[in-house]
Amino acid sequence: MKGFTPLVLGILATLAFSWLGLAYIPDLQIGHLDPQSDEEGTDIYPMPKSGMAERGRGVYVANGCFYCHSEQLRPDYAASDIERPRDAAPSAPPKWGDRRSAPRDYIFDRPALLGKMRMGPDLANIGKAAPAEEEAAPAQASPGPPAAPAASPPASNASPPPANAGAQQNAKPAARPSPQTPAAAPPAANASASPANVAAQQGAKPGAQPPAPPASAGSPPQTAAAPSPAASPSDSPAAYSAAWHHQHLYAPRSLNLDSDMPAYKFLYEKRRVGGEQSADAIKLRGERAPGEGWEIVPTYDAKCLVAYLMSLNQSHPLNEVKSAAAAPAGSPAAAKPAAK
Amino acid sequence: MNPTEIPLKSPGSVTDLSIGDVEQVERALIDASTRVPVLMFYASAVVWLLLGTLLAGFTSFKLHSPDLLSNVAVLTWGRIRPAHLNVMLYGWASMVGMGTAIWLMARLCRTTLRHPLVLVTGGAFWNLGVLLGVIGILAGDSTGYHWLEFPSYAAVVLFVAYSIIASWAVLMFRFRRGDPIYITQWYLLAAFLWFPWMYLAAQTMLFIVPVQGVLQAAVNWWYANNLLFLWFGSLALGTAYYMIPKVIGRPVYSYHLAAIGFWTYAFFASWTGMQRLVDGPFPAWMITASIAAMILCIIPVATVGLNHHMTMRGYFPLMRYSPTLRFTVFGAMSYTAFSLLGVVISLRSFARYLQFSEVSSAYSHLGLYAFFSMIMFGAMYYIVPRLVGREWRFASLIKIHFWASVYGIGLMTLMLIAGGMVQGLNMDNPTLPFTESTQSVLPYLRGRSLSGILMTVAHFVFAYHFLLMLLGLGRTASVPTFLNPVNPEPGEMVAH
Amino acid sequence: MNPSGSVPRRRQGMDYGESEDVQKVHAAIQREKQEPRVGLEPLSLWLIGIYALAIFFGGAYLGRFSGSFSGDSLDPGTVPTKSHGAGPGGGGQQQTAELSPAERGKKVFMANCAVCHQASGLGSQSQGYPPLAGSEITNGGSRRAAMVVMKGLQGPITVKGQKFGSAVMQPWESLGDQKVADVLTYERQEWGNHGSPVTKEQIAALRKELASHPGSFVEADLHAAPDEDLPGGEQQGAAPPKPGEQAKPGAPPQGSPPPSTPGAQPPKP
Repeated sequence: MKGFTPLVLGILATLAFSWLGLAYIPDLQIGHLDPQSDEEGTDIYPMPKSGMAERGRGVYVANGCFYCHSEQLRPDYAASDIERPRDAAPSAPPKWGDRRSAPRDYIFDRPALLGKMRMGPDLANIGKAAPAEEEAAPAQASPGPPAAPAASPPASNASPPPANAGAQQNAKPAARPSPQTPAAAPPAANASASPANVAAQQGAKPGAQPPAPPASAGSPPQTAAAPSPAASPSDSPAAYSAAWHHQHLYAPRSLNLDSDMPAYKFLYEKRRVGGEQSADAIKLRGERAPGEGWEIVPTYDAKCLVAYLMSLNQSHPLNEVKSAAAAPAGSPAAAKPAAK
Repeated sequence: MNPTEIPLKSPGSVTDLSIGDVEQVERALIDASTRVPVLMFYASAVVWLLLGTLLAGFTSFKLHSPDLLSNVAVLTWGRIRPAHLNVMLYGWASMVGMGTAIWLMARLCRTTLRHPLVLVTGGAFWNLGVLLGVIGILAGDSTGYHWLEFPSYAAVVLFVAYSIIASWAVLMFRFRRGDPIYITQWYLLAAFLWFPWMYLAAQTMLFIVPVQGVLQAAVNWWYANNLLFLWFGSLALGTAYYMIPKVIGRPVYSYHLAAIGFWTYAFFASWTGMQRLVDGPFPAWMITASIAAMILCIIPVATVGLNHHMTMRGYFPLMRYSPTLRFTVFGAMSYTAFSLLGVVISLRSFARYLQFSEVSSAYSHLGLYAFFSMIMFGAMYYIVPRLVGREWRFASLIKIHFWASVYGIGLMTLMLIAGGMVQGLNMDNPTLPFTESTQSVLPYLRGRSLSGILMTVAHFVFAYHFLLMLLGLGRTASVPTFLNPVNPEPGEMVAH
Repeated sequence: MNPSGSVPRRRQGMDYGESEDVQKVHAAIQREKQEPRVGLEPLSLWLIGIYALAIFFGGAYLGRFSGSFSGDSLDPGTVPTKSHGAGPGGGGQQQTAELSPAERGKKVFMANCAVCHQASGLGSQSQGYPPLAGSEITNGGSRRAAMVVMKGLQGPITVKGQKFGSAVMQPWESLGDQKVADVLTYERQEWGNHGSPVTKEQIAALRKELASHPGSFVEADLHAAPDEDLPGGEQQGAAPPKPGEQAKPGAPPQGSPPPSTPGAQPPKP
């Protein structure tokens, strides 16, 4: 080939072509999306994240969580992402999502953490998987669980603070919370649970939450179930609640023996119990427990990280994406209008 | 070994300088002028290679044994992994590539390198940038973008360093002697022009004037695939186009093939970025364009492969002797394998299963190690003796390096592809718990750690051998270090 | 960049045994072959064949799965239509003006009604949601249908010969006149229905009429109301209801409602 100039021009032109095609034109097409709102200007989705969640995203990035966890759901014709149930919830587990991810879901994310590998499950809707507070909350009536100190989530979460008492989650007799198939769980869950729990399960929309512990403001302090003599996960926090996330980050294999996730103990500190145990201390048993008079509490970074995780929710319908058909549950008069 | 049967040119006397001798003196001068910067780049690259290999060992072992050293923030998997990746990309691969490119440019442009300390300065800044970047990542300042995790303060230093290095290389090209521009020079010039643009575009669109939402991922992978193909791939292909014909003493088979191969590569390979995001939240045309580009990349792959093959035809036995040829041909063949794997995993029907599995890691390693790094090892085996005036000391060490690397990357690729397939199939089955897919890949990851041990051995052996050369402890000889004793048939040409 | 030759240059650093005398070239360079050169073999036909195949398959893939190169189509096989809504640069609002009433109504339906009446309009016998597809009320005069939508319905109702009693429908007048009119228009012409469209003026008038009626209707109220279209709107397109059908709640179902899915399913690649 002769000629410096044609060579250089050709070289630059080829890269310019691909940059135009894969960076510039897409920027024109989807680079300036606004959040969706309905005609009244309410119900805006998505919203920028709160301060703690935003900082939590920084912690997520700094510790490279996105190398194992994705945050994108592929459409149902392309993969089985949406219909996959979550592992940790023992019965009626929520699915990974209601719909595929769309560009509009990420407009306020920087960086957009779509992820590339799944050694761990997808997290796009992990915030939605958290158990919500039940409106009609029957009191806990499980036989004989002592009022153990609550591991309720710190109040600073941006998203609905999940209820924590995981009595019926934990009623599985010495079974690991996952990787059991969900089918194994419901009989166990009903075994020691109060009748109120069963009603709550029926009232819950399928797919919306796991059988959420019906703890609420009215009930006595959140309890964990009776610790059985054999160390069992029977006192684990409700699956995907903030307390669950804290325990999962601190000691993943205390919740799931098969977990491949590294422990993030450096996000937690061990300190002396001052008077009473802290509300957000992680409850651990056996050799993981910090010992008499000590407790494990999350650092502020850990709280922010969990706030970020609890804020991850892509279930809001988008006009441009088909949502999974919502199955009607119970009387529509009792349900709030589904117009979201 | 029978040196007299090997066609060597005996040193002419001082007063008896024929054209060939003038050319040789010229080459000696060129080599002398490039000695300091190229050796400095190589030495830095080897140090980063060792560090990157240790980090790789951590990464691999921690992936299947997550409790290993897990309580320290600096050593958490999510930081070690990008540290390993970036050290390998910007520390090892970029530096060995640039060092080789400098030497090749000087030789092919037939210009001596003036003021080599400029390049040394550039190299020093580059090292500083990589060091800052790695420390930043381990300290928690990773940017969150794949292959671009270096925090901005390191990226700036890298960019400054690069400007120094590239401008010098391009200047050599500008003042070249001789009219026709050889194939290698196209690739090297292209690589030096492409890298700053893609790096600057990525930094601008991700940090300076950031794009919105999912476009960040699109720009990110546009950059990453371009780095792989248009920076590393170009450097490696250019090097192979020099080493193969040079070592065997035959011309490259066809100019037309080379030209087609170059331009189609430039044209199509730069569009493949979205193959890493198949079925993601993007307009479908972007993803389809990348998949189509991967399919069309068969054109340059077939072309370059044929070109090399026809050039080598009849000379494959020389691979028995020449380390450079062995490494380079292995790398060139891996290029074909790597590209074909890329096409397969991009198609939507396969991406369904493989998108989020370890196969993606196999693909990257095939490209960066089996293709790029092996060609660069071959180049180093050729160039270093010319810079230090000694031959490689131990043929056995070269052999250990070669076979440990080949078995290492071979085992790694096998483990990751097989493991990834199992993982992906399980992941796609919603009746299985998700943890099942992770569990199913763990045995393969343990196998991969084993392959990592092999590669660690290879790299330490090579580093030791290279150190011997730097210390002047190579063999003083007039024949190169062949991998096997030379007993040529009458009339058989032997390499080097 | 001096050419080689005259004066031996001083070398810097790393002089491993090479003498100052440039003329004594070390053996590696001596034995080197010449710098690479290029031959000029022509392209082989097989290679051209490979090119053709690659271009064909690559091009075909690009053509087939690009979703018209639009920024809106996230699905490879789908051509985006306006009714799929939000293009770049805004929520549904900016698109609304360009959508037809039925398309707007479909959005309202999907957001509010499909939960119970299903996207297919078939409802659910077990849960007590009457079907809208082929229903006498939907196909009949718009007054009755509008009454139900505006104020809700309580108690048993017989639709297409089947009795539905367990569910209660809430009032939807809070959606606003335009949305109520649109959703009625949609359901009256979807799934094989052939009711007339409804305008927001008609709904506004009906709202005034019903202002004094606080609660939901029951079936008897519906039957008491005349089975006519609301006065005052344009009658476009849809065929007038066939005579005699509405009078008999037990009439056989009319036509089979085609299932309607919100988005076309793209073929598997």
